Order: sequence, then structure tokens, then C-alpha cells
Amino acid sequence: MAAISAHALSKRYGATLALDGLDLEVHEGETYGFLGPNGAGKTTTIRLLLGLHRPTGGGCEVFGLDCWRERVSAHHRVAYVAGEPALWSGLTAGETLEFLGRLHGGTDRVYARELIKRFDLDADKKVRALSKGNRQKVQLIAALATRADLLLLDEPTGGLDPLMERVFRECLGEAKANGQSVFLSSHILSEVEAVCDRVGILRAGHLVDEGTLTELRHLSAQTIDVTFAGPAPQLQPQDGVTAAPMGTSGLRFEVTGPVAPLLATLAQHPVLTLVSREPSLEEVFLHHYDHGDTDRAA
Amino acid sequence: MATLTARHSFARRRAANPALRPLIARALRDARGRTIGFAYLFAAVAYLQPVAYRHAYATLAERIAFARSFGSNQAVVLFYGKAYDLLTVGGYTAWRVGGTLAIMASVFGLLAAVRALRVEEESGRSELLLSGPVTRGVLYTAAWLGIAVQTAVLWVAILAGLLLGGLAVGESAYLALAVVCTIPVTAGIGALASQLAPSRRLALELGGLAVGLAFALRVFADTAGGVGWLRWLTPLGWAELLRPFTGAQPVVLILPVLAASGLLLGAWRIAAQRDIGRGLITPRESRPPRLVALGSVTGQALREEHSVLIVWVAGLGAFALIFGIISASISTSNVPASLQHALERLGIGSTLTARAYLAFVFNLVVLLVSLLAVGQVGAARREELEGRLGALLALPVDRRRWLVGRLALAAAALSTTALVAAVLAWAGAATQGETIPILRMLEAGINCLPVAALFLGVVALAYALAPQASLGIGYGLVVVAFLWQEVGALLGAPRWLVDTTPFAHVALVPVAPMHVAAAVVMTGIGLLAAGVAVAVLPQRDVITP
Repeated sequence: MAAISAHALSKRYGATLALDGLDLEVHEGETYGFLGPNGAGKTTTIRLLLGLHRPTGGGCEVFGLDCWRERVSAHHRVAYVAGEPALWSGLTAGETLEFLGRLHGGTDRVYARELIKRFDLDADKKVRALSKGNRQKVQLIAALATRADLLLLDEPTGGLDPLMERVFRECLGEAKANGQSVFLSSHILSEVEAVCDRVGILRAGHLVDEGTLTELRHLSAQTIDVTFAGPAPQLQPQDGVTAAPMGTSGLRFEVTGPVAPLLATLAQHPVLTLVSREPSLEEVFLHHYDHGDTDRAA
Repeated sequence: MATLTARHSFARRRAANPALRPLIARALRDARGRTIGFAYLFAAVAYLQPVAYRHAYATLAERIAFARSFGSNQAVVLFYGKAYDLLTVGGYTAWRVGGTLAIMASVFGLLAAVRALRVEEESGRSELLLSGPVTRGVLYTAAWLGIAVQTAVLWVAILAGLLLGGLAVGESAYLALAVVCTIPVTAGIGALASQLAPSRRLALELGGLAVGLAFALRVFADTAGGVGWLRWLTPLGWAELLRPFTGAQPVVLILPVLAASGLLLGAWRIAAQRDIGRGLITPRESRPPRLVALGSVTGQALREEHSVLIVWVAGLGAFALIFGIISASISTSNVPASLQHALERLGIGSTLTARAYLAFVFNLVVLLVSLLAVGQVGAARREELEGRLGALLALPVDRRRWLVGRLALAAAALSTTALVAAVLAWAGAATQGETIPILRMLEAGINCLPVAALFLGVVALAYALAPQASLGIGYGLVVVAFLWQEVGALLGAPRWLVDTTPFAHVALVPVAPMHVAAAVVMTGIGLLAAGVAVAVLPQRDVITP
């Protein structure tokens, strides 16, 4: 059974179509990265998955439970971290964890205490006195300590310092090892690249690409840096290959598709070094948006 | 170096001043709903009172009878202030409009200042603006100029109402001024409270205490013997002492001007020196955990609301105690025969005995408890608008159960407030030797609840359907219904039309027995509306910031 499944999921707010026929499936035990620029529909998707908002078209399920009609049952298996922590200012961090834990039920208190230490949170401090990063830690600890089957994380590391981001990634690794599913909406591509099994890229309310990082990379250009013994030669243009000078004796090639024809050409020249690099997730992401801009401009 | 500093200073002044206009415009946009609501209300009251007086007391003989009976009636004076001349339309209007609207205007001033200063700071918007070329002085000035414009709008609204009611321009303008002159003073109180308190809630509680004290001083001055001088100590007393339509004393205006200036400067001195985002009162930032009532959303709501509820119970209880003590001084001798009739036409019944006086007082308690009901729905609404409800509903929490819990908490708060007021009013009367059976006073407390339950249910339904507009609808409904009960009969409206307001069905307990049938119907309507609200809420999108 899928942890999350959405079919033709749409949401309209007045004249704005926030989500446009989203089809999505996240498998049990999978860590899924959900990428997209501001306003692409990431948070809307999460609100629909939580049953906070009602779909205007299609539907979505969490572990086979309808997100709108059976939301309370679904929430027994879900933990959520919002991008903007909205907590009760009069409670201390510890009281907030206790409150959220009791409402969820089944919190692992030993793990919660461990997380408080690892995230270096002052549990006696009132929420109103906490910085944004520390309020975010409260949310993260509350969610992780439930050991829920599915973690819905909406920009969860906003405000965290690099040390705490590392702790967060470790915790996600532990969740994955426990067989928990994770749905991670994020702008931090290195974070998604580091922890996610599969990635979906959202643009203007619909999924424009989806797959494992390897699959996504195949669709994007591979970078090959070549230096020559002597000045860089003039090469004949090839399909799927663009070249740019790199100093006086080097060339940088962006190759889409098979690299064999380029290698055959290079073999005819005095190549000193050749470094091939797969595209980063950032390049994959930007490739989609640059394409989108080109499409829109056209 | 000096030239460079001077150039910097000049550049800063040049950069700061252009910010003033957009900041004032922003402040006015922010206050638009509240200002327009109060303006409509003020204009309506200002128009209706002279029209109603002319209609109800057409002849001089009727006016003389009315003046004789009311001039020394402490119960009425308690709420509307001292009456100087009840034989003329202007004198009557100054008494009724000046008395009630000055209280509302003082509340407006407090709300406006706390909103413009503390709420802006608490939300982080002030910090954002101050990080640019906007100085604290410009920000503070813009807030005050915004309140000044709002005050001017209310002044125009009262003036328009009085002119439409057929009163002279000059005297009407002066009466309107007497009413709104309380605004800068209580806005100054709000400004000072906003410097002391680090949160909106505490600022409103501190400011509310001060405004309540100002009201209590005026009550003492107007009703207790030999302490009329107390009127000089309270902005609500100054509004009376200005004596519009009855021998104006404009020199009194110097008092609100001085008081507002002092408060404004005092608040500014603190605002200029302290850390942004904090107040002079520093609450404890850490404490050991208290796990009481954290097992349910309703328990947590009680924890969130308990300080507000304590203020309500204690505040209303204190006033009930005072009224109870005063009730013993009500005289039953030399009552003109026309008094009963006149009082009935005012829609407030007899106020000639201690019991009748307390019945009149509890008519006001009904209003206050109804306002508390709206406020409790407002607290639930704030939970949603500020995103905390979204956080709760992402857990296995049922929306219906959440709303039922909030409404049950509100019902408990209303009951506690009304019953504590009843017991303390009884205790106050008992200290003066008045023997009113406690059960009769408890009945007076219970008598407040059906109307409050009706409003609680109806406003909960408004919240479930249209959360953004629900608070305006709620407060608007309560105030309009109360005013209609006040003026409907005076205007000679047909009985069925007067009866459309729930307040018309509140019996004068402990003088008369409770209207059980009306109570059952109103409670039933409230429950039905609440039931529909609980059914409707799960069907809509939760508002998330």
C-alpha cells in the first residue's frame, strides 16, 4: 500500500489554480523530496494531504485513508512539521512537546528526551522567548518522537543552523532505517539530494518531473571538463553537445545523451585530462525551470 | 567628521519624513473596520436619542415629570452620568449620548492604541520598518496621527447623527467633542500599557483596568454623596463636566489635552529607550513544566484563556459588589406616580428599590456577558487565524470535538461570570442590611445566560461559515440588539418589532420572575445555531497563515 497517493488532485482558491491535476505516489518506507519554487503548490499539496483544505478536484489518500473524509484516522499515522511554527506562546517548549505528544498518542518519550538533547533545546523556556529556529526544533522533536509511519515535512529546516541541520538529516536517516515514510518539501536542494530516494519537481501546480536522482540526471546534461596539451582545438559541432572555453587550453562540454561520439572526437586530439561530472540536483532543478521560462517566453 | 554627521542626519530626516504618509495610510487601512463600525454606531445613537425623546416626551408636562423622576435616580445616573437638564432635547441628548458614547469612545481609544503600537510590535512589523530608514519617532507619530484621524471620523459621525436628529450645529459639534475627548486620553493609557506590557493581551488587561477604574470613579462621583469632586479625576467625568447643551464649560477641555499629552510623552520616553519587541514588564522566560490540563485541546484552551477569564470574573464581580452596596441607598419615598410609566417607556422598568435597582444592573450584566460570549468565539477564531488550529488539526483531533470543547468552555465561563456577579451583588447588598434572598440573586445571574447562549451559538455559526467576518458580526449584533431594546420603545416602534431583540425578553430579576419560556426559546436557538456551527465547520478549509 502506498504511503501517499494522489490522483488528479486539484485545488483552486478563487481565481487562482494552486494545484492542477497532481498525480503522485509515495511508497511505504520511501523518502520523497518535493521540490518547487515559491507558489508552485507544495504547501497546498501538504494541506490537502492533511485534510486541512478540501480538494476541488481529484483526491488523495494516506495509507489508503481518504485525506478529507478520514482525516482523523489518517492522522494517527502521520506527523507534520509546518514551515512557519505556530505554537502556544504561554507554554514552555517541554509543555508544548507534552501537549502535542498527548494529542497524538503513542509518543516515544525516551526518544523525545534524546532528541531534546541532540537538538540542544531548552525545554523549560517559554515558546514566546524562543527564536524561530528553536520553535522549529520543538516542531521537529514533536513530530519525530511520534515515530509516525509518515512524516510530512514542509520546509522543516528553516531557521536551523548548519549543526542542527546535520542532526535533522541524521534523524531522517534513522526514520528511514525504521521503515518510516518521509515526504520532504524543501528548497534546500543539497538536503533533498542527501536524504531522498525519489524526487518530484512541481511547477505551476503540476508535477513536471519525477524519479530517482539517477533517473533525473539522465535527462540533464553531463558536464565534461577537458584540458589539452597545447591550445584547445576547434571541434566540429555535434548534436547534444555544447562547448565553452575553459582558459586557453581547456573546454567544458555539456552533453545531453550518449557521450561516445564526443569521446571518439576527443581521441583525435592531445587530451591531457578529462573530468566527467554528473549534474547536481540544483542543475537538474534549474534545467526544468529554465525550460519553463523558455516555454513561457515562447 | 562633523559635516559627515550633519549630512547623515539630514539624509535620515529626508528619508524618514516621506515614510510618515504611507505609514498613516497603512494605520488607517488597518483600523478601517473598527472605525467604520464605531462610526455607524455613534451616528445611530446620536440620531436616535433626540428623535426618541421628542417622540416619547412631546409636551413640557411630560418632560417635567420625566425630569423630576430621573434627575435624582441613581440607577440611571450610574450608567448615563449626571443629568443637568432633562427638559430640552439638547440636554437630554447630551446626557444619554454623552454618557454612553463616552464610555464606548474610551474603549475605542484603548483598542486603537494597543493595536497601533503593541500589536504592530508583537507581529514583528515594527522591527521590519525600523530596520529601514524609518525612525521610532516617525513610527510613533504615525500611530498617533492615525488615531487622531480615527477620532476625527468618530467626531464627524456623532455630529452627523445629532444634526440629522435636528439639533443645532454649534452645540452638536461641542457635544461630539465632549464624547471623543476621552479617546486621546484612553489611547494614551493604551500607549503607556503598550510600553509596559510585552504582549497585546497584557497591554489590554492593564489598559482595561485603568479604563475600568476611570468608569468606577465616575460612578462614585455621580451616585455617592459628597464625592462629586471625583469627577475631576476621570476622563469620563471630564466629558460630563464639559456640559454640552447645558452651560458649556469648554475650559475643562484643558484636562484631556494635558492628560493625553502627558501620557503620550511618557509613553514616548519609554518607547524611545527600550528594546523593540519587549516591554518594561519582563515575564519569566523559563519555568519548570506544569502539565495540568495538557491532555486535551479544551484543557489547553482553558490554560490559554484563564487570565482573560479571571479578569472578566473579577472585574464584573467587583462592579456587582459595588452595585450591591449602592443598591441599599435607593430611596422609595416621594416617587412621582409617572415614574413607573416613564421608566417602562425607557424599556428599563422600575428602579425604585434595591431589588429593582439590581435588576436594572443585571440588565447591563446581560450585555457584558453577551460580549464575553462573542469574545470567546473570537479567541477560537484567533487560534485559527494565527495558525495554531492548523497545527492541532494535523494531529488526530476532530474539528467538531474542538469546537464543542471551545463552546463548552465559553458556556462555563459565561455561567461562572454571571453567577459570581450575582453572589457578589447579593453580598454587597447584604453588607448594607438589604435582605435579598440569595436564590433570587442567583436567578438574576442565571437570567443573564439565555441571551448570552443565544449570541454564543449565533456567533459560533458565523465563525463556522465566515471566520474573517464573524467577530464584526458578533459585536455588531450584540450592540445593535442592546441599543434597539433601549430606543425601540421610545421611538414608538410596534411591540413585535421591539421584541426582535433578545434583550427585550430578559425579565427584571430579582423584581420579577425569570421568563422561563423566553429563556428556553433563546437557549434553544443558541444550541441549534451552535449545533449547525459544529456540523458546518468540518466542511470548510481551515485558514492557515
